[in-house]
Amino acid sequence: MTQHADPVLAATAPAGVASERLEVSDAAVKFEGLAAIDGVSFALQRGDIFGLIGPNGAGKTTLVNVVSGFQHPSRGKVLLDGRDITSWSAHRRGTHGLVRTFQAVRLFRAMTVLENLEVAAVGAGLGRRAAERRAYEILEWMGDAHRALDRADALPYGDERRVGIGRALAMAPRYLLLDEPAAGLGDAECDQLMQLMARVPQDFRCGVLLIEHNMRLIMGVCHRIHVIDSGRTIAEGSPSQIRNDPAVIRAYLGSKSERRRARN
Amino acid sequence: MRVPEGSIERGLRRVWPLVSLSVILTAVVLLSDVLGEPLLKRTIAEALIKLIAVVGIYIFMGNSGVLAFSNATFMMIAAYASAWMTLLPSLKRFSMPGLPGFLIAAHLAPLPALLLAALLTTLVAFLIGAAILRLSGIAASIASFAVLAIGYTVYDNWESVTMGTSSVIGLPMYVNTHVALAWAIVSMGIALLYQVSRLGLALRASREDEAAARAYGVNVYYQRIVAFTLGAFVLGIGGVLQGHFLGILTVEAFYLQLTFITIAMLVVGGQASLTGAVVGVFVVSLVTEVFRQLEKGVQLGDLTAQVPLGAEEVILGIIMLLILIYRPQGLMRGREIPWPFGKSVAATLPTLTRRVAP
Amino acid sequence: MTIILQTVIDAVSLGSIYALTALGIGLIFGILRLINFAHGDFITIGAYALIVPSAAVVATPSLGAWPVYLMIPAVVVVVIIVALATERVAFRPLRGANMASLLVGSFAVSYILQHLILLIYSGRPKAVDVGMNLAESINFAGLRVPAIELVAIATALVLLVGLALFLRKTTYGIQMRAASEDFQMARFLGVRANIVIALAFAISGLLAAVVSLLLITQSGVLSVQMGLGVVMVAFVATVIGGMGSLVGAVVGGFVVGCASGILQVVLPDDLKQMREAFVFGVVILILLVRPQGLVVTRAAQERV
Repeated sequence: MTQHADPVLAATAPAGVASERLEVSDAAVKFEGLAAIDGVSFALQRGDIFGLIGPNGAGKTTLVNVVSGFQHPSRGKVLLDGRDITSWSAHRRGTHGLVRTFQAVRLFRAMTVLENLEVAAVGAGLGRRAAERRAYEILEWMGDAHRALDRADALPYGDERRVGIGRALAMAPRYLLLDEPAAGLGDAECDQLMQLMARVPQDFRCGVLLIEHNMRLIMGVCHRIHVIDSGRTIAEGSPSQIRNDPAVIRAYLGSKSERRRARN
Repeated sequence: MRVPEGSIERGLRRVWPLVSLSVILTAVVLLSDVLGEPLLKRTIAEALIKLIAVVGIYIFMGNSGVLAFSNATFMMIAAYASAWMTLLPSLKRFSMPGLPGFLIAAHLAPLPALLLAALLTTLVAFLIGAAILRLSGIAASIASFAVLAIGYTVYDNWESVTMGTSSVIGLPMYVNTHVALAWAIVSMGIALLYQVSRLGLALRASREDEAAARAYGVNVYYQRIVAFTLGAFVLGIGGVLQGHFLGILTVEAFYLQLTFITIAMLVVGGQASLTGAVVGVFVVSLVTEVFRQLEKGVQLGDLTAQVPLGAEEVILGIIMLLILIYRPQGLMRGREIPWPFGKSVAATLPTLTRRVAP
Repeated sequence: MTIILQTVIDAVSLGSIYALTALGIGLIFGILRLINFAHGDFITIGAYALIVPSAAVVATPSLGAWPVYLMIPAVVVVVIIVALATERVAFRPLRGANMASLLVGSFAVSYILQHLILLIYSGRPKAVDVGMNLAESINFAGLRVPAIELVAIATALVLLVGLALFLRKTTYGIQMRAASEDFQMARFLGVRANIVIALAFAISGLLAAVVSLLLITQSGVLSVQMGLGVVMVAFVATVIGGMGSLVGAVVGGFVVGCASGILQVVLPDDLKQMREAFVFGVVILILLVRPQGLVVTRAAQERV
């Protein structure tokens, strides 16, 4: 699926225009005195694949929840193409092209795979028939058309995760937030996923924010990476920069002395 | 205009539940005409009216997964409204002096009265829904219970307008099996059109997973209001027909007993499908009828087997509990009557994409 | 001035009854996420336990004839047994079902119990004189207050304090609170689900029995739906108070009681009958302004 006359599927303006970004500005979330995130800022351009990594409990999912409207920040703003959407509800963000997936996928279990994508397409503003067509096209693009009429709760694990991504794509996202899409996938499935994801920004003209633990995936597809630990930013840069950043190494592997101790 | 291949079959498949159920119900009514037994016809008419009510409940509860207790209230509002518009003015002047002048003078034909009454209840339902459907599922259910209580208390005490605890008599009794059947088909049609529409799809997604639905563009609050209001319209039809079938209205008839029976019917049949609603009405009506006969006493040779009065309700309650424990999705398990003409997969897929390699 | 004080006492007494009922409902909701519609029937059964089953209008007391210090525990025991039986037979098999099923199931249980009472005792309201003469008024500080109202307030206080101590200081109480916050986790940590749930139902039964005694002393009339009125208000009180919070349930109960008491005085005579409707109306208003209830707990919020 390359060129698209379908205006809903592709962007309405060419990607790369300066004001077209998803920006998080000084976001903070405090739960009863504990800061889950404390002053994180970054920007995602359309057409980019932007990685968000950090050790467990660093606050990545909370950040996704803030951006997607499932968590109200104690401080800070979310800006969509320059508009302040911090007070917008989750569904409103979805209909404006800010789409997320869930770590647990959360498919609509009693519905078929096709219907799952249809819901998203309807959410993007299509009528039932057009939504069905779009859903099927996306399944074809992903290579999952043969599963269209299977019930969502009957899918094997890997397929379930792919359908979750397909559902997000069916919403014609301008910015796509993927919350640990590779969790639990084996190497082969992960490679498949990488191939899929590499095509997303062009074919769908959207920016991708990828939250992952799987370094293979992150290093393989991301243009830029943002690292957080304990709710704070500790580094941002290209994959090779991040790989060699001492702060990142410390966060994941402990300080030099701790590593020395672990070696002996 | 070229019709894409297979789309007629796809359209038929979509409305199949409505078609098949309507055919079955029509057959039942025609059979009762042939047999001519008045008691049978009464039972069937009652069941059809209950069916309309249950379909009304299904439109909201089946698609949203949220239980509402205000159903009987909406039936009541429409029933009394229709009474206000169809009773003889002289009667109203005497027994409902609190009614505004234009209502006392009103003497409408059944059909316009029914439609106006249903519209009134729809409006009330819209306002109530807009208020309480912001609450989370359980809180909304309880708020709807409060609505039931309010409705009952207000109508029970507002003697000048509803005759309070006294029965309202004199409603024109124009409802027979044919009228009930016609409105049952209309109600099922409304339910089906809603459930295959994008609105129904969106609401069902919220039933499956509310957070995920929100993430994919479903305005859950708005969708619930739509279903709630539409369901109330159908409930209104049911209420009006109930009143004009019996010829009598009491406030008590629209309270807990009715609420329980109609919810039980939906739960027994399966709350996630239209067929479930119909099956539930049929099964529960059958069981209650059987027990009614048993309570009157059944001749077994020289003995008369008799079941104590009130056992019928206990048994019904137990049946409902058993279904909830062992078959929580109901008898139909959320499925409709299957399309009998082969599983042609291609016919159900969008026909625009023909280059598919399976 | 006296009128205000009397109204206050009326309101607080009514609030006490609602608070105790709301607490009984809230306890079970907290652990099982189940709204126990049958709670009203527990109350009704407690009252009906006082008389011999018959269709007579003036009932022959059975337990009701016993001396007070035996009668009260006897009623409590009866209701606790009924509550535990209901849990074992009806609610345990329903555990793990979704919320709608639980709600409908609880409705069904209530329906069954109500009609069982109807079967055994017939539907006629019956008069019962429990022999405590507490409906009479006491004069003090220039006020005339029915003694039963003071008893209600005192009982509520004692029970609330007792329950609070139980929940904070005893092992089982702490286990119950843990189960209320996070049932799965509590089980992982060794809390025995069956015991905690049974305890919740037992305490709920105790509260229901107390409420039934207070009600029967106040009104002297038994009817199949006597528990229903209180319980409907209590549900609503639980929602205002914030689902999942015991403190909220109590607060909600008192709020509703006060609203009711105030309305009793403030409403013009011809609208007094509809006082309940107004109370429910006020309740819905509160819910609109603050949908999550007055006291919010984390348990009530969904995690994404």
